[in-house]
Amino acid sequence: MLAFITRRFLLLILVLFGISVLLFGILMTFSPERRAATYVTSPQQAKDIPKIIKQFGLDDPFYVQYFRWMREIFKGNMGWSLVASRPVWDAFWTYFPVTLEMNLFAAPIVLFFGIWLGTFSGTHRDSWIDHATRIFAIVGWSLPTFLFALVLLMTFYGYFQIFSPGVLSDQLSMFIIDNPDRFVRYTGLFTIDGILNGRLEVTMDALAHLVCPILTYVIVVVALNMRVMRSGMIEELSKDYVTTARAKGADKHTIYIKHARRNAMLPVITVAGQLMAMSMEGSIAVEVVYNRHGIGWWLAESAIQLDMPVLMCICLFMGIVFVITNLTLDILYAYIDPRIRLS
Amino acid sequence: MKKIVCFIGFILLLIIVNGAVAEVKNPDTFVLADYRTVQTIDPSSSYDVAGSMRIWNMYETLIFFDGSSTETFVPLLASEVPTVDNDGISADGKTYTFTIRKGVKFHEGGELTPEDVVYSFKRNMIVDQDGGPMWMLLEALTGQGATRDKDGKVIPGVFETIDKAVEAQGDKVVFNLPKPYPPLMSILCYTASSILDKEWAISKGCWDGNIKNAAKYNNPSPGHEPLQKIENGTGPYKMKSWEPAKQFVFERFDEYWGSKPKIRTAIVKYVKEWSTRKLMLQNGDADRVVVDTPYVPEVKAMKDLKLYEVPQLGFTAAMFCRNINPTGNPNIGSGKLDGDGIPPDFFSDIDVRRAFLSAFDREVYKQDVFHGLVIMPTSPNVEGLPYHKDVPVYKYDLKLAAEYMKKAWGGKVWEKGFKMIITYNTGNEMREAAAQMLAENIMSLSPKFRIDVRNVEWKDYVVQIRSFQYPMFLSGWGADYADPHNFVYPFMHSNGYYGKFMALNNAEIDKLCDEGIENVEPFKRKEVYSRLQYIWYEDAIGIPLYQQIVVRAYRDYVKGFIPNAMFTDDNEILKRIWKQ
Repeated sequence: MLAFITRRFLLLILVLFGISVLLFGILMTFSPERRAATYVTSPQQAKDIPKIIKQFGLDDPFYVQYFRWMREIFKGNMGWSLVASRPVWDAFWTYFPVTLEMNLFAAPIVLFFGIWLGTFSGTHRDSWIDHATRIFAIVGWSLPTFLFALVLLMTFYGYFQIFSPGVLSDQLSMFIIDNPDRFVRYTGLFTIDGILNGRLEVTMDALAHLVCPILTYVIVVVALNMRVMRSGMIEELSKDYVTTARAKGADKHTIYIKHARRNAMLPVITVAGQLMAMSMEGSIAVEVVYNRHGIGWWLAESAIQLDMPVLMCICLFMGIVFVITNLTLDILYAYIDPRIRLS
Repeated sequence: MKKIVCFIGFILLLIIVNGAVAEVKNPDTFVLADYRTVQTIDPSSSYDVAGSMRIWNMYETLIFFDGSSTETFVPLLASEVPTVDNDGISADGKTYTFTIRKGVKFHEGGELTPEDVVYSFKRNMIVDQDGGPMWMLLEALTGQGATRDKDGKVIPGVFETIDKAVEAQGDKVVFNLPKPYPPLMSILCYTASSILDKEWAISKGCWDGNIKNAAKYNNPSPGHEPLQKIENGTGPYKMKSWEPAKQFVFERFDEYWGSKPKIRTAIVKYVKEWSTRKLMLQNGDADRVVVDTPYVPEVKAMKDLKLYEVPQLGFTAAMFCRNINPTGNPNIGSGKLDGDGIPPDFFSDIDVRRAFLSAFDREVYKQDVFHGLVIMPTSPNVEGLPYHKDVPVYKYDLKLAAEYMKKAWGGKVWEKGFKMIITYNTGNEMREAAAQMLAENIMSLSPKFRIDVRNVEWKDYVVQIRSFQYPMFLSGWGADYADPHNFVYPFMHSNGYYGKFMALNNAEIDKLCDEGIENVEPFKRKEVYSRLQYIWYEDAIGIPLYQQIVVRAYRDYVKGFIPNAMFTDDNEILKRIWKQ
């Protein structure tokens, strides 16, 4: 097991190198003028584009620019984010907790709700419950996230005046700014920092700001998990070992939960793992509409403005996330299905 | 009975008053929701509207615009506005003398001195970051618009010229100009002319005060300017916190030398999505939000708001390039006048330009796109600028447009037809509408005329304009300072930003532009700029599209806003406003 994990981590270095060369190469297809225009926000500034190209060596050969970037990375300098107006590394640790906080709450709901609903639907095949959950899944999966987020915002915030956008209310936000010694940002996650600082009102307020984003995310994403789980259950329930178990008089609960569901879980874990990994990129629509500045918002803005250091950073980060996710999934497979051996 | 009625009346009045008061959320806090981000709060480098708003509230300049005026000034850190009459400005227009106000404190406790003022101007000019605002002061005070040449090398002797340009004399500061520069007073109101505390700035890593070391502090990379995220001005507000691309919090500076502002805390929130901004305004969580033109009807339908219509000093035009780059350029088709393209010098024929101008329906554009809420300019010297005058425009007349087309290129255009692409920057609905309208109207003249309209992301658009890729491009310019030179030069001079990319080359225009900036006599300048405005029409240089009127949407309990055409809707002079 240890050798397997070590090998996979060594592979990670190669993966990151490959990603960086590939992405850098893609970004180099933009002309030096276009890359210099990243620093420009008005026609007045555009007259300095040739000077900006010279200053940053944007017309140097690919390998010169790549190794310059690599040298800075090894010095711990990820570059400057024009979108975030601060060093990329600092910006990452500002935006990542916002995305992570939502995922921490949304992921278990997506996972357990999807499994439960899929199991329920699979064991009640072709009943009205099954039809209802399938309709829910199709509608959820087809919903444009941006539109759905807007509908929720207009309903809850616009009509009922609850669940305001942002991550925290102005009063508490000001309290934290005014009292850095009385409220320490241990994790950057307000829900957890609120508990660690003994300020439950902060935790509750942060949770209230999470309701709509989580609701949007869960309803849109849970559908896929639910459908995979349902298919798995239907397939498992039609197998001979289930018929044998029934013939031996095993109760429904044992058949469904102990036998069939465990076997149906493998594809769900694969899908859920990938979903969790992808969610680390953040949901652009959710973050934009609910004014939560996380990785998704940052990535979208950076892509539009061609903020190269940010794009490189997030792609490398996602490379790490996917390698670790796949490794975790492999280990989980072996745990769930003892027939699988890691080698 | 009367007593009972009076008592009930009093109670009702109390309830009404309480109700009214209760509607004002956080009376000493002002919340603005905007969608533009701030790159830096260093006055030497900030050159965007959001950054200017922060700097104007934290730092101060020697003088500032007087209320709504863009041409008259009030003293801020100077004790009076210099004029020729009070000997503040020399008769030849080359020396400006400012007496510095006494008893002014910086946020960190230092006291303002004339040396601080001299240091600030020199330091800001020495920084001169690429893409920064310092070209304005450099042009006025050194006669050169930059400290580096086009290859990025420092111009020999430029720092020594900067050193001599500003000097302290007792309680006065004197500016020595190489030649008269009429817009200087307006430039001195800009954030690039903000005053720093010399000792504090040096302690934070800014220029050390020795001109021999100036090159070391020249052109820092974005984000590496020492004052990028810290401030110490004399302004009415201090920076309480700044979380880039999230929120900027101002706190009142209680030792401010002027009258005490009523708002204690101001928060500028970054809210990208319009629906979210709108709901914040509706719920009173924002006291003002930035409203783009397409959403004006929505705010007009909302209750409990106070709307202000503020004309902007800005000009947008559709411009013709007279020397298009033909290399691999899909925008001009075959590159020949054969019905499948246009030649690179297609727009060098004035009849083609006049045909396009005559095919643009200004009235329909004004009503359909802007619902009448716009100024239709006639030349780059827009309303609100000195020496503005309405010059003739080409009236919408498709018959006349056809006549021009028949004459163009010796009749070849009409005979063969042409094909080209008009582009606009993605997301700009006003420019999209203008491009579509022009294309449809020109195509209605002859079935042989074919024009496609395409959109391009703004930064790509800028790069392509600079490469002479577009036969016709739609772009605009916002005021750096309120003087015709800031508009006429970029749009008309052969070396101006747009003039260059339109491939303009008119000796008379260039001569007039130079005369206009070098002359201090108002009657002479009026003559020069009148002629230039007329040439815009006479030479059919471009199609004037719009001078925007922005709508500012405040909650109705916010008072004190004074409109000024120099300020975009991102700006807010916080010390003027209060909630009631």
